[in-house]
Amino acid sequence: MKRSFARSKLLAAVVLVVGGTHASAQDLSIRQDSMGNSAGRHVLPPRDLPPLPEMPSGFIDNDLAAADSSPHAIASYTLDELLCLAAANNPTIRQARLQIGGETAKALQAGLYPNPVLMYVGEKINSDGTAGEFQGFEVQQRFVTAHKLQLSRLKYCQRARVSEHLAVAQQFRVSNDIQRHFYQVLAAMERVNLQSELLKTAEDGSVTSRELYNQGQTNLPGIHRANVELQQRRLALLNAQNEFAEAFRQLTSIVGCTLPMGRVEGSLRPDETIPSFETVYAGLIQDSPEVLAARAKLVADQTTLQRESVQWVPDIVVTGGPGYNFTNNDPVYNAAVQMELPIYDRNQGTILQARRDLQRQQAEIHRVELQLRERLAMAYRMYATALQHATEYERVIIPEREVAYRELLEGYRDNRVDWPDVLHAQGEYFAARLQQVDQFRDVRIQEVMIDGFLLEGGLMAAKGPTPPGHIDAVAKPR
Amino acid sequence: MSQPERRRHFLKAGSIAAAAGLVGNWMRSDAAAQAPARTSHPPVRDEYDGFSRFKPSRGNDPDSDYYLGKMIPGFRSTADGPAPLEAPDLERLPWKMVRGAKEFHLVPMAVEREFLPGYKMNVYGFNGSMPGPTIEVTQGDRVRIVVTNELPEQTTTHWHGFELPVQYDGSETLTQNPIEPGASFVYEFDVHEEGTYFYHSHVPMQEAFGSVGWFIVHPKKVFDPPVDRDFGLIFQNFFIDSNQNIADSWQMDWNWHTINGRSGPYTTPLVVKHGERVRVRIMDFSPMQHHPVHLHGHTFWVTGHEGARIPKSAWVPRNTELIGIAQATDFEFIANNPGDWMFHCHMVHHMMNHMTRQVGPRIRQDSSVDSYLANLASRPAVDAVRTDPGFATPGYPQEMKSMKMPEAMMKTIWNRREVQGMRATWPMSVMGLMTTLRVLPDDLYHRVMETDAEIPPGSIFEEIVNRFGNPADYQPAKMGGMPGMKM
Ligand SMILES: [Cu+2]
Repeated sequence: MKRSFARSKLLAAVVLVVGGTHASAQDLSIRQDSMGNSAGRHVLPPRDLPPLPEMPSGFIDNDLAAADSSPHAIASYTLDELLCLAAANNPTIRQARLQIGGETAKALQAGLYPNPVLMYVGEKINSDGTAGEFQGFEVQQRFVTAHKLQLSRLKYCQRARVSEHLAVAQQFRVSNDIQRHFYQVLAAMERVNLQSELLKTAEDGSVTSRELYNQGQTNLPGIHRANVELQQRRLALLNAQNEFAEAFRQLTSIVGCTLPMGRVEGSLRPDETIPSFETVYAGLIQDSPEVLAARAKLVADQTTLQRESVQWVPDIVVTGGPGYNFTNNDPVYNAAVQMELPIYDRNQGTILQARRDLQRQQAEIHRVELQLRERLAMAYRMYATALQHATEYERVIIPEREVAYRELLEGYRDNRVDWPDVLHAQGEYFAARLQQVDQFRDVRIQEVMIDGFLLEGGLMAAKGPTPPGHIDAVAKPR
Repeated sequence: MSQPERRRHFLKAGSIAAAAGLVGNWMRSDAAAQAPARTSHPPVRDEYDGFSRFKPSRGNDPDSDYYLGKMIPGFRSTADGPAPLEAPDLERLPWKMVRGAKEFHLVPMAVEREFLPGYKMNVYGFNGSMPGPTIEVTQGDRVRIVVTNELPEQTTTHWHGFELPVQYDGSETLTQNPIEPGASFVYEFDVHEEGTYFYHSHVPMQEAFGSVGWFIVHPKKVFDPPVDRDFGLIFQNFFIDSNQNIADSWQMDWNWHTINGRSGPYTTPLVVKHGERVRVRIMDFSPMQHHPVHLHGHTFWVTGHEGARIPKSAWVPRNTELIGIAQATDFEFIANNPGDWMFHCHMVHHMMNHMTRQVGPRIRQDSSVDSYLANLASRPAVDAVRTDPGFATPGYPQEMKSMKMPEAMMKTIWNRREVQGMRATWPMSVMGLMTTLRVLPDDLYHRVMETDAEIPPGSIFEEIVNRFGNPADYQPAKMGGMPGMKM
């Protein structure tokens, strides 16, 4: 700096010389003045303080930047709006409805009575040189016994009921995911605000370190350290903004249609607490769509067993029709009655399979119940911990941090505290509020999960009513 | 007109001259309000061998008895007995004659002391005061001091400097059992010493917490030359954290400084009359800090320490005297230079009440803590581009910025008669271990100290400038224009 200053001074002198004899001493002094070197006044050289780091600029999320640049035109959404949009647009809800339709169609098909068979019959053609002993039409009709068709239809109707429960579950999956992401967005917004506050504190810290430097109370490493803290805070703010973008984009993915990036309106603070673990669990056992589906499936499986148990009862196939006997030249009739003799195949294997499948389903109900308990245990723990933290942060920790911050501010006003102490308390206060946001967010998310039968996966393909092991291995569903 | 002449002229013209009871050569009959019955005494003069009691002067000969006012008597006669001790802001401990001894009752206890208006600090002291009340006796007295411990912990009281029977020395466990809370112990001894003594708890942390008081022994034979004023100032340090009012006796650092239990500008000025002979006894009872004590506008003789009065041949003239821990020094001088004079410890960090780094909003333009306090949820943004041109200078700012004094505090500070008529801005410069010596001509002394007259800030000081200084060059203090006040 000193050297370049000297150089420009030299340059000014050269200009004066080149300018010729008209340049007076007064001109010289004016030129020197413009460089801050007024006569008789000692000017200190600028000090080599490291500059503040530049704003992070390597990568920018353009949508965020656009939303940032037009804060007034920013869209805003409520939870109810988003749930309505999801009901209309989330594809898995339609999938679930179509699953029910599919099962109902199977029920229709399974109960249809078998068609008669029309045959033209020519027998013993060329007997005595005639066209045959019998030429004519026969009709064959299978007579289904033992209510097989009714049972098959009933079975698929019952599977359609399973699909209905699964569709309800899918609605919960979507609604839960919408709510969870809604609270994620809400929390992300508050996190962005608080990270902005923390950034302001870091900016202040950086200015403060320069002030301390000017009084010999910190050194260059102190300035560098403050620069690092400033840049880390800027990155933390960017991180919060990116988290907001992620949360918003995930939210709109579940909704099922693209929405312009915007705010959500709501409160992170829960209105009431959930009941005890056992009460919640009892409710789950009674009303969870997963349990209801498993129970409905058990009913369907009982019908399957019933259906397979009558499979061996022979249908009666009656065949008959009029014809003409060209040997005797007289009209004749044919008639036949057909029946399978269940000597070897009494469907005993499939019956056994159906029985096993029924037993498997009984275990499946128990499994679903236990799995719910397992999932509830975790959700309940997370809920309890988050709520305990959020409550105590709300009741004690944040107010205490706030009071400490205020008292230090007042102490500073009374010249009894150093400003870095105030900044420290300010940082602790904002950081505690940041932690509280996360705690409330976790409370809300677990609340949604517990109220919503622990269902998640609003973009998972809707499940069908038949798990592996089903018996549908014939062209005609039975 | 010489200054004394001008002064005489004024007093004659002034309506209060009669009230002052002045006669001829400024021999005075009311030299000390507390004085006992007066007797006649030889007249004192304005000038002795080139030294004037009414204007700054040295005298003609360093070997003269009157050089720098060394042996110049006060207005008070030795026959009037010693001038009573004035320990500003402290009480005197009463006594009763019981069975041939002066019996005092001293109560070690926890006390609250208002270092500055509104700053009530928790310390230990005696009889509701920190420092404790002053014990004042005469050489040859027998004293009985009944110490009743109202502290929640054991204590003993030590009579610092006295050559007494060892069982009454008050050294805890070495010479006596500690006095239990609620219990009493009776100390009784003859005082053959004279001089500047003190008493204190002999539990170290209690000492650091403020447990001390004056024990002044006046000589049987009044010292010559006699003084008109005898002041006693106890200097102490404490560490008291921000937003705290309990002293931390464990600290190795100090941020509060008191003279007789008060910090500047709440310390009470020593107000004397022009021409009086003044003695000041200063004792350092700081836990770990020595104090170089400096008086402006005068040169004083060091006439004694806590052990004894110094023979005149060994007196030393000084402007600054270093006073070590548990040491006392007696100064004497003729108050021949009217005005409000600083009287302070010269340690830079002791000239403030509590130091904070000069960073943050108070040195930033358009920034104030109030805007932070207005909304704690969101703090104001900072301007990272600092535009204050002062920052082109390394080290800026050094002046403590924005020393704020709330209205109520200012009122309390100004309410005392002793400070009336000082410059409007004086409280901004008297901080920590600082007080002032006010040397006032009789009429002004009377107006300030002996009337209830309303005295505007600056008026007495201006009057002194008018009489003794150069009024043409004088600029009054800006009212309310406290430098650096911002927040
Ligand atoms: Cu000092």
